[in-house]
Amino acid sequence: MLERLQTISEDHEDEELEFNGPEYDADKVTLSQQAVIFENSSAIDEVLKEAQFIRKEISLLQLEVERMCMQNERFGTSVRRLTLLKKDCDSIAKGVQQRAEALYVRLQDLGKMSSQLEEKEGPNSAVSRIARTQYDTLTHAFRAVMSDYSKAEEKQKNTCRTRIQRQASIMGTDITDEQLDVLVDKGGEGWAELSQSLQPQAARTCRMAFCEIKSRHEQLVELEARLKEVHELFLQMAVLVEEQGSLLNNIEVHMHRTQEHVDQINDHIKKAVQYKKKNPFLQCCPCLPLVSMLTPLYGSK
Amino acid sequence: MAPSGLKAVVGEKILNGVIKSVKKDGEWKVLIVDHMGMRILSSCCKMSDILAMGVTIVEDIDKRRERICSLEAIYFIAPVQKSVRALINDFKDVGFTYKAAHIFFTEPCPDELFTEIGRSRVAKVAKTLKEVNIAFLPCESQVFSLDDPTSLYSFYGLKPNENKDKMIENLAEQIATLCDTLKEYPAVRYRKGPEENARLAEEVYRRLTAHKADNPSMGEGPDKARTQLLIVDRGFDPISPILHELTFQAMAYDLLDIKQDIYMYQTTGIGDSKEREVLLNEDDDLWVQLRHMHIADVTKKVTELLRTFCESKRMCTDNANIKDLSQMLKKMPQYQKDLSMYSTHLHLAEACMKKFKASLDKLCEVEQDLVMGATPDGEPLKDAMKSIVPVLLNNELEAYDKIRIILLYIFHKKKGITEENLAKLIQHANIQAESNIITNLENLGCNIIAGGRNAGKTLPERKERTGSTYDLSRWTPIIKDVMENVIDDKLDKQQWPFIADPAPINTTQTAVSARFGHWHKNKSPPEYRTGPRLIIFVIGGVAHSEMRSAYEVTRATDGKWEVLIGSSHVLTPTSFLNDLKTLDQVPNPDC
Repeated sequence: MLERLQTISEDHEDEELEFNGPEYDADKVTLSQQAVIFENSSAIDEVLKEAQFIRKEISLLQLEVERMCMQNERFGTSVRRLTLLKKDCDSIAKGVQQRAEALYVRLQDLGKMSSQLEEKEGPNSAVSRIARTQYDTLTHAFRAVMSDYSKAEEKQKNTCRTRIQRQASIMGTDITDEQLDVLVDKGGEGWAELSQSLQPQAARTCRMAFCEIKSRHEQLVELEARLKEVHELFLQMAVLVEEQGSLLNNIEVHMHRTQEHVDQINDHIKKAVQYKKKNPFLQCCPCLPLVSMLTPLYGSK
Repeated sequence: MAPSGLKAVVGEKILNGVIKSVKKDGEWKVLIVDHMGMRILSSCCKMSDILAMGVTIVEDIDKRRERICSLEAIYFIAPVQKSVRALINDFKDVGFTYKAAHIFFTEPCPDELFTEIGRSRVAKVAKTLKEVNIAFLPCESQVFSLDDPTSLYSFYGLKPNENKDKMIENLAEQIATLCDTLKEYPAVRYRKGPEENARLAEEVYRRLTAHKADNPSMGEGPDKARTQLLIVDRGFDPISPILHELTFQAMAYDLLDIKQDIYMYQTTGIGDSKEREVLLNEDDDLWVQLRHMHIADVTKKVTELLRTFCESKRMCTDNANIKDLSQMLKKMPQYQKDLSMYSTHLHLAEACMKKFKASLDKLCEVEQDLVMGATPDGEPLKDAMKSIVPVLLNNELEAYDKIRIILLYIFHKKKGITEENLAKLIQHANIQAESNIITNLENLGCNIIAGGRNAGKTLPERKERTGSTYDLSRWTPIIKDVMENVIDDKLDKQQWPFIADPAPINTTQTAVSARFGHWHKNKSPPEYRTGPRLIIFVIGGVAHSEMRSAYEVTRATDGKWEVLIGSSHVLTPTSFLNDLKTLDQVPNPDC
């Protein structure tokens, strides 16, 4: 289809040349578009560069979360080398947390940049809208990754809990959910209590089970601590979501909020370029650059 | 759960076929749409989807736009004069508005407009030019719309659209793009009776054949020869769009003010109480689960799901209800999305029940007796007039509710009623101002005035349906009978003629290995759905209960058939009555 279009275009040009003869053809002149138009492109480029960087960071964060999930799987299902696996899980999870926090700061900076652009250029200018849209969708993507992270940590929590309860019941002691809550809350002390209640019963024969319970209890305590740390981040994001409203991602709503572009300055420059074109001096004496430079100046008042 | 069905098919076609196809790493683009393009895009894609594919800003072609010359532009527009002129305008002056143009038309571009583009400077900056053949909105996974609420007037108004031929051609083209997108080449049938049905059906057949010439893969595949497309008019079942329905989606859209699928309500979140706006669509998994359920089951189900959710997250609450949700949100903000979902549907169900209990419970009893012709015990309705008079005299009911009851009474009478009786009813109800709504239904071919122009026309015989239903939900839309008959190959060929004889159905089954040859089933694109489809187009608007029937019938075939239904627009009882009101008016010359 594109070829068809271009054939029509060429035929049309030939027609025009036949009828009109060699004339001052606006098409053939490459005017100084640079001076007139690229006012917004450097600002846009800056915004887009930053947005691209954040976008990449978010996908890397996503990969880390997936890695964490896989590692958690291994920790959740294995019975040996628990300490080693646990260390890996913890380090990945801590890495995710740190990355997320740094990314969140960067996102907020983008948000500030966007607000500043809105103040300076008006909320309806292209660069502000580009910045705002990028910020909104990147926050959305960030939230999705954090939600996956939260789900993974939850899953890990539940796995640990069920394993502890199962091993304990194998050893003869039943631990209810509420008791487990208390033991986890107490941290190290909880472990001391737990080991005491388990010790008298066949500790020697169930050494493996005993070790596993210890390891998983430690894991739980650390998990809870991590989740508490990241709670503040989630709270801030939730507040933001409430403010932004849930229709943000809807294209039609987004478009209705955009208004017509008020093109005052550019209009004058357009007129200046036209005057330049029609400038009789230029047409018969192309070597009058001075005159052509003066016209835009007069036009832009 | 990702959307499936129509939304997935169209979404994939646009994201991959349009936006991703011109994506270049490191480069962002501007996306420019006209009204139709925007509606199609918005119905199946989100801002985050298109940003992930390299679009950084979406502009309206009809608004004046700022120059962004460092970026290339993607145009997703209908090939109509207004949009094409705007496109040409972007590259008319010396300074181009964008760096280059990638043009995608929703349907085939007429020659004159194409030549106009060819003669303009757009031809020099165009890097892509394609016709994507998507000229409809995928409202739901099995419902489509052509986005034209004026259609009822265009077909049945006093001064029906003078360019009726042109309008029918446009409609036919839109329906053909639906089949093209789904890669179906259906056998076209129509309900015999109103001449518009036959004309539209013929035109659709013509357009389908043209599309098939360009796209021979349409209609290929095992069992695809059985796919059918039915054209039916609104007058065929005037009851379903005006009856009070008690399933969640139909009820909510009828009783509450939901515009553009946006539901607004007041709630407290982490912050103070404020108004929330929520989009009711298939991205909300809970909505998909609840929308066709009876309202009595909805609140039960949501509360149950919320309780399970809270237990699994070990949030200790005694009764998981609306008031506790904001507390839960503060404690566990990472579950904001899920908690908001539960909150929305609890509020929505509560709002529906409030309206229902206020005035409608008695009304619905009378309505169901009228449309079924019998009481819930199976006793035939003896004195219909006696049951409707107290309703008509009730000053607390709104005019439209009374009109609905009068209409259902008239349809119950099968042969219409006399003018004097109608006048009496109107007087009892005190609805003189809106009485033309009732008589305007004659334009749709319905028998209102006994012995009038539609004398002799009756509503079709109904199937016997057994199975327990709620007393206030005994009615099934007439189209459901038709759907089931098509699938069982029992639809009468005299009353529903084919435009062209359908291809002979290959009844011999080719042997299919259980072990080999199924590898592609997990990877096939969404539109490649084995098995036939039944596509139904209703002229004049489709009701929620009819949409629900499409899903119910599909489920009953165990996935062997897929039933799609659509129209120019989706009706609510209020919008239908509003449309009917205008039928005898002269169109505004300024519009």
